[in-house]
Amino acid sequence: MKRRTFVGAATALTGASFLPGFANAQSKEIRMIESGGASGESIQKGYIDPLKAKTGINVVRESPSSLGKLRALVESGQTGTTLFELGSGVVLQAKKLGLIEKLDWAAINPAPMFPEAKNEYGFGYQYFSTIMAWRKGAKEPKNFTEFFDTKAFPGKRCLPDYPHYCLPFAVQAAGVPIDKLFPLDVDLAFKKLNEIKKDVAVWWKAGAQPPQLMKDNEVQYSICWSGRVVGDPAFGLNFAGGKADLSFICVVKGSKPEDKAAANKLFYEMSLPENQAKAAEVISYTGPSPTLDALLPKDKLWQFPTSKQNKDVQYFENAEWWADNGEAVNKKWEAFKLSL
Amino acid sequence: MTRSTGFSFIAPLLVLMVVAFNAPIVYMLGLAFWEKGRGFTLEHYEGLVEAPVYLRVLGNTMRIALIATLANIVIGYPLAHWMRGLGSRGRMIAIALVVLPFWVSILVRTYAWIVVLGNGGIVNRALQWSGLTDSPVSFLYNELGVTIGMANVLLPFLVLPLFAAMLRIDDRLLQAAASLGAPPRTIFWKVYFPLTLPALAAGSLLVFILCLGFYVTPAILGGGRVPMISNLLDTLINQIPRWEQASAISTILLIVTLAIFAAYRRLDRKASA
Repeated sequence: MKRRTFVGAATALTGASFLPGFANAQSKEIRMIESGGASGESIQKGYIDPLKAKTGINVVRESPSSLGKLRALVESGQTGTTLFELGSGVVLQAKKLGLIEKLDWAAINPAPMFPEAKNEYGFGYQYFSTIMAWRKGAKEPKNFTEFFDTKAFPGKRCLPDYPHYCLPFAVQAAGVPIDKLFPLDVDLAFKKLNEIKKDVAVWWKAGAQPPQLMKDNEVQYSICWSGRVVGDPAFGLNFAGGKADLSFICVVKGSKPEDKAAANKLFYEMSLPENQAKAAEVISYTGPSPTLDALLPKDKLWQFPTSKQNKDVQYFENAEWWADNGEAVNKKWEAFKLSL
Repeated sequence: MTRSTGFSFIAPLLVLMVVAFNAPIVYMLGLAFWEKGRGFTLEHYEGLVEAPVYLRVLGNTMRIALIATLANIVIGYPLAHWMRGLGSRGRMIAIALVVLPFWVSILVRTYAWIVVLGNGGIVNRALQWSGLTDSPVSFLYNELGVTIGMANVLLPFLVLPLFAAMLRIDDRLLQAAASLGAPPRTIFWKVYFPLTLPALAAGSLLVFILCLGFYVTPAILGGGRVPMISNLLDTLINQIPRWEQASAISTILLIVTLAIFAAYRRLDRKASA
């Protein structure tokens, strides 16, 4: 008798907690770890605020995001965080390590999106570019061959301290066109970097460094993120040969069904072009809607990674190649850094 | 009886240390030896031997730590000696100035050097204004910048123990040496310096070991041109993430540090015996 009461109670309890789960119950608040700064504010203004206004669901943001943090979250069995921002190459690594879940695209039911943004394991929500920029007054390079030519274009350089941001530009400097960059000729890239390294004053780790160093006149030329330099009269810039890349929001492995349901609602908001236009007011990076250009201010189209004139002259990040070769290249990178 | 009471006072601290500090370290060290699903492995150490670039970064870290420690000694020893000779009020002011950096965030102090030593910084403008140089001297974004920044942050760790040891030196010993006809130089090297040596060695060792783990100063003042082990570990832990490899490197770093410490203890015991 006692036993039966217990079993009955247990069934009732699990039923109570499970049934609404099937009847698409969703959490009123979920947590997200994103990369922070203006990018985080653009998520707030563009997507979280509209979501809250429509559904009452709130998303609490934290930053910064790194693959190591995600691994620690999942391995410690912590399931309080549902959404996690990752770079395009990192999504593949996280998938391999079993740290993220497949997205339920049918449940998200998004507005039309560029195909590369509709990843099995992530929502590509933000295009960003890595481009050349210079301090106003410096001689203006038109391509990376000129950018790497420190005789014709004298001045100190500031380059990214990340091989996947640096090597493709070095290969371009050696004359490889942007549609033939991959598979990457790593040796050629390092040969080119060895030629320029004495003129590289700083290898940057944080995106805020290159614009500040150019303003301080510590360096005259940088390879940096477009959102950090566009619209600032102190800098000149050129998208030619730049790298277009996509940031993804992923669902952390082991998230609760009701949290995932809430996350899907946010993903839907992120697919709407009108929301992406709001986000682009905060940071000059763009969302994955093919119809977004029409909603953006005409005089600012030149600033955005995905506007026609910029998308055509850039190459797109080859995340698969980096997922396969990243670690080996990284060792060579460390060896190169020791030779500075 | 007294013994057990003493132990019970210490027990909470002991538990805290074991649970919050020692156990995670053992876990961290163990990471390098275990591969999920396969059990014991040495491949993460084999990886280090095959691609010695990580070990070379470790070597580079040791070299920078040594340079920074020597810089600290060159600056810190005369400073402590000078402080000993001050009056009590002067000493108070001097100690306050030495300790002052402890009260300012390490980030603020490190960024301050950019303002002071940058191309458009105070020092370079003064040098160019006075006509000593034509173009800015590169103080930052190289080993010099990292050494200056690290020496600045760590100076109190050397000066304070050294100053304490110097204060304990009995002036009568020096007077006795003088009365026996020793010139000042001999008094310094034969009497004064040997008495400060244990504190100097202990302070230098402390500075050296702290240097090995420096992260933020090389990251900011090194301009990415001065590879140090903690920055490499950051990459391996946060970006790649190869915790097993990071664990193997950390283990080697820990062993090297302990070996240095053991060597010091041996020397110390020999000296005091």
